[in-house]
Amino acid sequence: MAAQTNTMTLPLMRPVFRPLFFLNWLRLPLLLLCLLPSLANAHPQDEDIILDIELGEMQLQEGQIDQEYQAALKRKRLRKLASMSPLETFQLYVTAGFEHIIPKGLDHILFVLGLFFSSLLLASLLWQITAFTLAHSITLGLASLGIVAASGSIVEPLIALSIVWIAIENCLFKQTSKWRPAVVFSFGLLHGLGFAAVLNDYGLPKDDLVPALLAFNIGVEFGQISVILLAFLATYLIRKKAWYRHWIQIPASAVIGLVGLFWFVERVFL
Amino acid sequence: MNLPASHLGKSIIALSVALALTACTKEPASQQTSAEAEVAAEHVKNEAVAEVSNPFFAEYDTPFQVPPFNKIKDEHYMPAFEKGMKDHLAEIDAIVNNEAAPTFANTIEELERTGDLLVKVQRVFFNLAGSNTNPELQKLQRELSPILSAHYDKINLNDGLFERIEAVYQARDGLGLNAEQLKFLEDTRKDFVRSGALMTEEQKAKITEINSELSQLTTQYGQNLLAETNGFELILDKSDLDGLSDGVIQAAASTAQQKMDAAETDEDKAKYKDKYVFTPHRSSMYPFLTESSRRDLREQLYKSYVMRGDNNNEFDNKTVAAQIAKLRAERAKVMGYETHAHFVLEERMVNTPEGVYDLLMQLWKPALERAKREVADMQAVVNAEGHEFEVAAWDWWQYAEKVRKEKYDLDEASLKPYLSLDNVLKGVFDTSNKLWGLTFVELHDIDTYHPDARVWEVKDKDGSHLGIFIGDYFTRSNKRGGAWMSSFKGQSNLDGVERPVVVNVCNFPGPVGDAPALLSFENVTTLFHEFGHALHGLLTNVTYGSMSGTSGPRDFTEFPAQILEHWAAEPAILKTFATHYETGEPIPDALIGKLLKASKFNQGFANTEYLAASLLDMDWHTLTAEDELQDAGEFEKASMAKIGLINEIAPRYRSTYFSHIFAGGYAAGYYSYVHSAVLDSDGFAAFKETGNVFDPELAQKLRTHIYEKGSTEDAMTLYKKFRGREPQIEALLKVRGLDGSAD
Repeated sequence: MAAQTNTMTLPLMRPVFRPLFFLNWLRLPLLLLCLLPSLANAHPQDEDIILDIELGEMQLQEGQIDQEYQAALKRKRLRKLASMSPLETFQLYVTAGFEHIIPKGLDHILFVLGLFFSSLLLASLLWQITAFTLAHSITLGLASLGIVAASGSIVEPLIALSIVWIAIENCLFKQTSKWRPAVVFSFGLLHGLGFAAVLNDYGLPKDDLVPALLAFNIGVEFGQISVILLAFLATYLIRKKAWYRHWIQIPASAVIGLVGLFWFVERVFL
Repeated sequence: MNLPASHLGKSIIALSVALALTACTKEPASQQTSAEAEVAAEHVKNEAVAEVSNPFFAEYDTPFQVPPFNKIKDEHYMPAFEKGMKDHLAEIDAIVNNEAAPTFANTIEELERTGDLLVKVQRVFFNLAGSNTNPELQKLQRELSPILSAHYDKINLNDGLFERIEAVYQARDGLGLNAEQLKFLEDTRKDFVRSGALMTEEQKAKITEINSELSQLTTQYGQNLLAETNGFELILDKSDLDGLSDGVIQAAASTAQQKMDAAETDEDKAKYKDKYVFTPHRSSMYPFLTESSRRDLREQLYKSYVMRGDNNNEFDNKTVAAQIAKLRAERAKVMGYETHAHFVLEERMVNTPEGVYDLLMQLWKPALERAKREVADMQAVVNAEGHEFEVAAWDWWQYAEKVRKEKYDLDEASLKPYLSLDNVLKGVFDTSNKLWGLTFVELHDIDTYHPDARVWEVKDKDGSHLGIFIGDYFTRSNKRGGAWMSSFKGQSNLDGVERPVVVNVCNFPGPVGDAPALLSFENVTTLFHEFGHALHGLLTNVTYGSMSGTSGPRDFTEFPAQILEHWAAEPAILKTFATHYETGEPIPDALIGKLLKASKFNQGFANTEYLAASLLDMDWHTLTAEDELQDAGEFEKASMAKIGLINEIAPRYRSTYFSHIFAGGYAAGYYSYVHSAVLDSDGFAAFKETGNVFDPELAQKLRTHIYEKGSTEDAMTLYKKFRGREPQIEALLKVRGLDGSAD
């Protein structure tokens, strides 16, 4: 019957019990929703309780919260970072770079696969990868240092288009053209801006920016190389078959191109 | 959305958007392979799976027993509550059915051991329902409240249990109990008695009947108030916005937009099109009253606020309030008390109505005098502007602001760069270090319920572990407004040493752009305040968890929190932590001077409106059962006339919208705030008197007698042990500028 008094007294005096006794005579759902956690212990701030009563139940709508959550995650990472040794920081950013390819960077994976399916010649592939790496390192660095800036609403659709372009070329030409590395280089500049955007969301340490940037880039390279290696292993036994181009290279490129096209539409119109 | 308001006023709730956090990782299949669980799994697979993988059912295998937040999922709560209640009742039954004669150990201490699982899940659930809620938790909260209150009723009404407690109580003198045990026994027994354990069946039936009526009335009171607050809107055209700043205009436009979106008919929608809406919600009203130069509109909005529940319509609260007061008086009589206030105050530090009146009236005169001076100051501004009117209640905010600018000008924006959250945390940690040698080590690898919730290990002077402190400072859309302290794990020395896990939750604005989170000085005060509660929870060192930390009487438990605020405002300390976040320079003396002066601004008003409401609260609850049902309007008028309240100020809450006392738990308790303020000012004055705000001897006394003791001794006794005498009000008058120093 303690609940019948309004003093929140009860035989079991654990602080956390008190509010519950409070409930019986209260029976005011609006109030309950806001009172419990605070009365669960030290002092509710009365003004806020009253506001809660006067405004009604907390209205939860979807959206925003995820944004807040991501921002908080970034803050948490940066706090942790500030307490880490340089070596730990370096490892963290290598890992982050890798993760932003596998598994998080599906568009970059497709682009790299697009390069992979362009040619059977190792030299051609190496040239393209080198051009791509060089280019995206440049823009990643420049954008992270705040020297260049580009809006995601422009960069992201263009990245999707770059995938489409590469895929179409793969389907049309049996062997890569001479200017292909140049094309790939320019696309790499775009992808670097994309990496910069995710790295910015992820967060960079204020003081030791360059090592972290370097580490992130190294992680990205590891990711890329892994994609190529996996693709190479997966096609190792069939690369030399006569039907490879017809049944693997072209269909795979077509699928990559279609996905790129879908992303383009999605990023521009949806 | 923080608005500067009076000392009591705190942040405004950002009631917006939220989505359940999906951050919890998928629970790995449990490693428990007990045969029992497997058998159960065959029969009731779902339940068994829940049981095996439910983190509440096993001891937390986390560092410092911080709840494993990443493993706790929404569906774990209900089964844990259900099992928790079942276990709790079984444990109570075991005590009642014990064939051995009742002893302190087998009854009182055993009772303390009951309900562990229930407490465990409650702590997590109610904390998260406040600080990180989602629709599922909201739904659970509604479902749980009647279930839980019914559960605790079963225990409170357990006659067999009380018989055993009473037997121990009657034999108390010969049991060789120590002081803490004796107080624990007395408190436990008293709670049962206050719950009606000694009443006859007839009395119990009467109480049940009154309670049922009261619960309906308090609900109705709250609903009426909600309807009345939402029932008025001031819809303005662009031409009515004179004096308003851009931010205020924008907020009013977005209120109109929200109303338009919510409107169902085109006609209703048209009403809000291109308009600006203000409402009697404080967050909407105060900025308008402060800025609008349209006196007629200020009057309209102000009156809509103070007349809530007093419009003689279906939502009128006058009769409801009077009936609640009458029923409480009747209930007090049945329980053997003169009035409801006597019943409530029996357990407080100021334990009689006379004591409360005495305290309030000592402050009343200087507060009212100061308020009258403030009116005169404002009237001078009105006259100087060439107006002919006399300052009225709806002019107060507008002209107080003008006086503030003139006399106390402090630019909040110039202060903020010195008050980054990290600096302020450093300030509060350093303060506790200088007082008691505490150290704080941030732990980055402990899972919390939200990435903004930070974790520190708190260590004592000798390096031993004291507890875990979680600080969750930034506002977010699924967090309740305001600031509070709570705990995820309590302290107890009953069966081995249990150290606590406490949390502070605040609603400070997060960082914007590249700058760190910057606080206002009001935020800083709030942070120190909540941290004071946290220290009360962290330093506590008692045998019985029920008596630990913040478990004492309400008019005392604010003291350990409020006293810490004084260190935040100490110039020498401010200079150590308030350094500019870009330049690293300490806060300039001139700015500190302005800050301290501004703290005395408008205190006449703030104290007068607060004291008037406290006195109104006491008047309602010192009615006796024999008094007639009051006419609430007349009653309030007479009550205010008696103390000479001036027309320019209304009580902070009038009878028809005083939710604290008519819908909440503050009946005969609204005075508590100022009582704690007397203690904290008087207590801090002791440090000032030594000439060293970190005086080691006094700091040790504060720790030993206040922060460590929980409710193991009478609050006044504890205070006297710390201070060497009873509290006096002079220090508070000085702090608030009610001693003439603000003139």
